[in-house]
Amino acid sequence: MTKKYDTPLLDELEKGPFPSFVTEIKKAAAKNPMAADELGQLEKSMRDKVTYWKHGGIVGVRGYGGGVIGRYSQLADEFPGVAHFHTVRVNQPAGLFYTSETIRFICDLWDKYGSGLTNFHGSTGDMVLLGTVTDNLEPLATILSLNGFDLGGSGSAMRTPSCCVGPARCEWSMIDTLDITYDLTQEFQDELHRPQFPYKFKIKTVGCPVDCNASIARADLSIIGTWKGPIEIDQDRVRDYAKKGVNIQEEIVNFCPGKCITWDGNNLAINNSDCLHCMHCITKLAGALKPTPPFGAVILIGAKAPFVIGATLSWVIVPFMELKPPYQELKDMIRNMWDWWNEYGKNRERIGELIIRRGMREFLEVCGLEPTPEMVKEPRNDPFWFWKEEDLEKKPWEEFLK
Amino acid sequence: MDKEELKKAIYQLIEQSAGKKKYKQADVIKHFRQQGIPDAETKAAIRELIDAGDLIYTYFGGSYIELGEKRKGA
Ligand code: HEM
Ligand code: HEM
Ligand code: SF4
Ligand code: SF4
Repeated sequence: MTKKYDTPLLDELEKGPFPSFVTEIKKAAAKNPMAADELGQLEKSMRDKVTYWKHGGIVGVRGYGGGVIGRYSQLADEFPGVAHFHTVRVNQPAGLFYTSETIRFICDLWDKYGSGLTNFHGSTGDMVLLGTVTDNLEPLATILSLNGFDLGGSGSAMRTPSCCVGPARCEWSMIDTLDITYDLTQEFQDELHRPQFPYKFKIKTVGCPVDCNASIARADLSIIGTWKGPIEIDQDRVRDYAKKGVNIQEEIVNFCPGKCITWDGNNLAINNSDCLHCMHCITKLAGALKPTPPFGAVILIGAKAPFVIGATLSWVIVPFMELKPPYQELKDMIRNMWDWWNEYGKNRERIGELIIRRGMREFLEVCGLEPTPEMVKEPRNDPFWFWKEEDLEKKPWEEFLK
Repeated sequence: MDKEELKKAIYQLIEQSAGKKKYKQADVIKHFRQQGIPDAETKAAIRELIDAGDLIYTYFGGSYIELGEKRKGA
């Protein structure tokens, strides 16, 4: 196919050192009229400094409330190829593992039913298939489903849960992130496909505090693998690191936020009761230091990443939860949170915002959790415990006044 | 109220408020809770209406329940 539009502004974006999406769209445009018109409209958008997309609209797959993000062009006459340009989110395999055969299947499918443009992976984790027409949505969902795939989450629903590669490829993983993600996806099918919340809810699971999925900043509910045993030390290997030029005092001891490591030039010692489980020493001296069981997870709540104020990190609500299938304790806790949020949440209010509005104390009561020191975010500043009327009768503080 | 009656009532609620107020699923559940209908029953009825295409989920910033395309009379 000959070039359909001149795109001088987009061409500029190909000149830098990095791979360019413009180059990729041009490749797709060579065989796909939707991709070709996408280039045309994008060039015009950049020239006019106006987006010509209408937002949203009524489009979806029967029985589902999420998975498709409707998109229509305002310039359908000029760019008929993008008159409809809906995005389809496909639930990714946990840990993002594919065979090449699977990738080929998805790509062929998208050449046939869509623009050929994809985004692996979207911020939610999903495979994101960009640009198709309304009439193709039902057949697409059916074909995906027959081949073992399902649509992902969008809208005011539980979003597609995601995780790090975990035990499949990483020595540090202390929980089975893949199994947890798969299990929660199956358990909460209704909440994934039938939007019933005040707003979106994201669950991200990582195997250790290195947090390769940035769950602490990107998930309403972060599940982060951790350990309870002492850190095992192989002194010979520590000395090896020192010999090879690692400045143990500077790079390990001084950086320990728990101030619990000492080094006498020959032996490393860790006071485990002060360890904050940040993983710094363990990752810096890989192989020399190792976390030991019992293994489990820290559960945190309330992160979000709004544009204006920037990322809000999530807050510890369970310092240690053993996570063994079928993860009943976790599932019950999640359901309790949702009930409370559904009851009191305003439209487009994330659960973290509701906690700020109604208080951590109420949230902890809803979850059936006792306050513990690990929950404190700002010492002397987190007022999530107040005495109740009936406590005042009992004068519980007297036991502290001996 | 039996299930079919409940489905009719839910449909009417959405139909009568079309163009005036947008309902989220939780709003519908709360509405019928005030009439003594258990949440689970309302939820199940909504699910049937959605599966049949009488009602659909729409998305505009948040997700709402609105009349299905075929009943909208476009
Ligand atoms: C100059 C042009 C563009 C710039 C500078 C740009 C930059 C970005 C950045 C910084 C992100 C966030 C990545 C992250 O999650 O950290 C993003 C996300 C995204 N971009 Fe672009 N982008 C451009 C054009 C486009 C175009 C033309 C498309 C589609 C045809 C596109 C599709 C997407 C999608 C789908 C996402 C979401 C990815 C996600 O879900 O994480 N972008 N873009
Ligand atoms: C005025 C134009 C647009 C607006 C206001 C807009 C806004 C948004 C918003 C708010 C979301 C997040 C939805 C959610 O999950 O809550 C989103 C997601 C997305 N948009 Fe857009 N968008 C626009 C244009 C486009 C265009 C032109 C494309 C593709 C060519 C596109 C592709 C996507 C994709 C792929 C996602 C999902 C990314 C993911 O799942 O991580 N958007 N957009
Ligand atoms: S978060 Fe931890 S367990 Fe998961 S991939 Fe990263 S380092 Fe490995
Ligand atoms: S994990 Fe972090 S807090 Fe614990 S000993 Fe190592 S550096 Fe210190």
